[in-house]
Amino acid sequence: MKNEISTLRNIGISAHIDSGKTTLTERILFYTKRIHAIHDVKGKDGVGATMDSMELEKERGITIASAATFCEWKNHDINIIDTPGHVDFTIEVERSLRVLDGAVLVLCAVGGVQSQSITVDQQMKRYKVPCIAFVNKCDRNGANPFRVIDQLRDKLGHNPVAMQIPIGLEGDLEGVIDLVNMEAIYFDGDNGEILRIEEIPENLKAQAAEKREEMIDKASLFSDELTEAILEEKEISPKMLLGALRKGTLSREITPVFMGSAYKNKGVQPLLDAVNNLLPCPADIQNEALDMDKDEAPVVLSTDPDKPDVALAFKLEDGQYGQLTYIRVYQGKLAKGSTVVNVRTGKKIKIGRLVRMHANQMEDIETISAGYIGAIFGVDCASGDTFVSPEINYSMTSMYVPEPVISLAIIPEDNKSQINMSKALNRFTKEDPTFRSFVNDETGDTIIEGMGELHLEVYVERMHREYNAKVTTGQPRVAYRETITKRAEFNYTHKKQTGGSGQYGRIAGYMEPCFDEEFIFENKITGGSIPTQYIPACEKGFRLCLKKGPKLEFPVTGVKVAITDGASHSVDSSDMAFQAAARGAFLEGYNKANPVIHEPIMKVAVETPTEFQGPVMGSLNQRRGIIEGSQEDGPMSVIEAQVPLSEMFGYSTVIRSLTQGKAQFTMEFAMYKQVPKPIAEELIKQKNQAKDKIKQAK
Amino acid sequence: MQQANHIEVNQLKWLGYSTDNILPDGGFGAVSARAGVGKTSLLVQIALNSMIRKQPVLHISLDSPVKKINLWYKEMFQLLVQEFKVDQERELWETILPYRFILTLKVDKFSVPRLEERVKDLIGQEIFSPRMIIIDGLPFDEPVKDTLLELKPFIKNLNAHVWFTVRTHRHEQPGPDGFPIQITDVKDLFDTIIQLHPEGEQICIHNLKGGSGEANTAKLVVDPSTMLIKKM
Repeated sequence: MKNEISTLRNIGISAHIDSGKTTLTERILFYTKRIHAIHDVKGKDGVGATMDSMELEKERGITIASAATFCEWKNHDINIIDTPGHVDFTIEVERSLRVLDGAVLVLCAVGGVQSQSITVDQQMKRYKVPCIAFVNKCDRNGANPFRVIDQLRDKLGHNPVAMQIPIGLEGDLEGVIDLVNMEAIYFDGDNGEILRIEEIPENLKAQAAEKREEMIDKASLFSDELTEAILEEKEISPKMLLGALRKGTLSREITPVFMGSAYKNKGVQPLLDAVNNLLPCPADIQNEALDMDKDEAPVVLSTDPDKPDVALAFKLEDGQYGQLTYIRVYQGKLAKGSTVVNVRTGKKIKIGRLVRMHANQMEDIETISAGYIGAIFGVDCASGDTFVSPEINYSMTSMYVPEPVISLAIIPEDNKSQINMSKALNRFTKEDPTFRSFVNDETGDTIIEGMGELHLEVYVERMHREYNAKVTTGQPRVAYRETITKRAEFNYTHKKQTGGSGQYGRIAGYMEPCFDEEFIFENKITGGSIPTQYIPACEKGFRLCLKKGPKLEFPVTGVKVAITDGASHSVDSSDMAFQAAARGAFLEGYNKANPVIHEPIMKVAVETPTEFQGPVMGSLNQRRGIIEGSQEDGPMSVIEAQVPLSEMFGYSTVIRSLTQGKAQFTMEFAMYKQVPKPIAEELIKQKNQAKDKIKQAK
Repeated sequence: MQQANHIEVNQLKWLGYSTDNILPDGGFGAVSARAGVGKTSLLVQIALNSMIRKQPVLHISLDSPVKKINLWYKEMFQLLVQEFKVDQERELWETILPYRFILTLKVDKFSVPRLEERVKDLIGQEIFSPRMIIIDGLPFDEPVKDTLLELKPFIKNLNAHVWFTVRTHRHEQPGPDGFPIQITDVKDLFDTIIQLHPEGEQICIHNLKGGSGEANTAKLVVDPSTMLIKKM
């Protein structure tokens, strides 16, 4: 492993499902000589693409978990994280983006910028990841890379710059014209491994000159030297041009666009050149940690290998030899045998085995330097943990983790499955912070929670395949919440005299809705009507009430409680008495504060051929959806709507039959919103029936 | 929707109109201005006012994506609730949202039969039945008379009215009748024509056609910092 940071690239390949990113990765690994044969996704040879290491991924033709891999191209080290394309797995995408320095956004030359590309792009924006785009599938019928470039500008707000133009399109795709060097590149050999450079074909010269002008024009904004060269009509060298384009790319002000067809082995090597030339090395990116000893003050990390170590565990996997933890080192150098501290737990860890990953194969290494990605063995930790040298106490900024929106009861079929299911759940919940599990106290069922139907479905299948845990699943359930809608006052006295010392506490105040926080507690007591030592007990009492709402036993959120008055007794008052008084006060106020039930609302985007727009809108409308709008773009339309999650179960089947399988949709959590009255009544009815059942069973 | 009452009635009424809708059923209105002066923001205010009165608005944009239009509405709504000190902003937004539908089309794909097909589909499925339509970005630099004539009876049948944005250019002088040259040929089809004109640090709202023309009508401006309509 070289330790020259300027020749290191940590990149992700992000895109919409079916835009061909796994095929592209496969070709990259082939040309960089990491693999010696090409296998396709859903391959007829039964091997499957190298990056889709999980059996399930191979079967479904989708990428679920990111696999990290390493390759070399023209004296540069490239770490690639293959990222999943489904919204349901966005925690994987987000985690990958957190540790990456740059990304290749893969777009389909036919489908263009689809709704999932928009989600992925937003994530890249959030983590300020510079990117280049690759318009794939230029060999397909209907391919139009320039339409995709327009969409990059119009739909994603990028400033795209065509770096190439295709030589032929659809079935006639022969190669690409490099607008920087002004040459035609053809891809010969069985697998396109031999590059043949020729003069630009006569019929494409004018178009190439025009597109090069556009490129130079955009690049000139980032280089005075280039602007001068243009004004003085001097020769513009590729180095000068690439320098300017790189500057624009790193600041995310331009997006260089490359094109080709990974499946037909065209355009991949120039893309690899672009990764080297245009995407940042770790030293180009400023990473920050939080100094836990200085009240979480931000500290800028440096890639200096002599500084104390800072590394982030961004992914866990259960391997043959125990837990495999993927890490990125941000500062210092992690060496075999060295000691680091897990900042979250405070535990010291001795680094045993360090490896570099290539999908599910690995290679032992001695050190991982700052900027590099690798994996460690046998370390018990959770995803998102920070490892540091013992002399510092830094934590990497926490990753954004959305709350789960859907739950499912799972029941093991036998005792063996029960044990295996526990093992699987323990592993999955550590690996994926958006996947949670718990046991329902009342029903005794194991409940799993996640970000969508597919998210949970995949974990259930993984339990079966990887852990041999046979489980049956119940109906998916939505994570409802309770809240209040108006201000209400309370004045409750808890008084109990049962011999010996009694219990006494009075709490008065008010509660009101709050929108930005889950719960706010405010102590407005003056004059000591409740002694200071009992205030924490009051807060605790109120907080305990939030777990199970009085209305339907859903968690209560968005409530501000202020206590303004109260009373205590010198002998009978205690923490317990005030906790009980707080519970009574909460119930009193809550019932007067017009409590309502909230449900998760999903932002749904359906991409459909325009001819099916009507039925799709109708289907969303039937599901209590509010259609925000419809965007017609050529033969396709995108319908954007807000739909309650509870109405979206099984929607993929519905939409397939409505549109002859031609439409697809994505959804992500948008907000919580009040449930309409008839639905709330239905929920109350169901809850009461369930309660009766439990009573009867007892 | 009690809170909504705090938000002022359609401010354009101050120009001397007798109803909140300003336009009669089947009527056409136009807001003309140079690029960037505030045509869309003015129409979004009129649309928000209509939504608050539970009058469904179909916003057709011929150049911007749904997301961008949605952002216009959110921002103008926030400015309005701040201006009129409305509490429970979130509830009000959620209440009025179902009264808006955004449709974006490419300019070259816009035609009256296509619009008819879309609207009939929305009405037929009981998804949305517009009372006010905004057509933002129709190229008035090109001949549009036939399109407007074709649109008129359809709108009348719907019992709706339409607002258009008309983009003018800095270098052009108005026609002999004082109307922007883009609208001179079709002005008879319009009930109301409003012009936004930057004067010094203000953007003045001129009523070129429509309204009572009474002396008690107010002089209106658009506040350049918030883009909200105000009396001078």
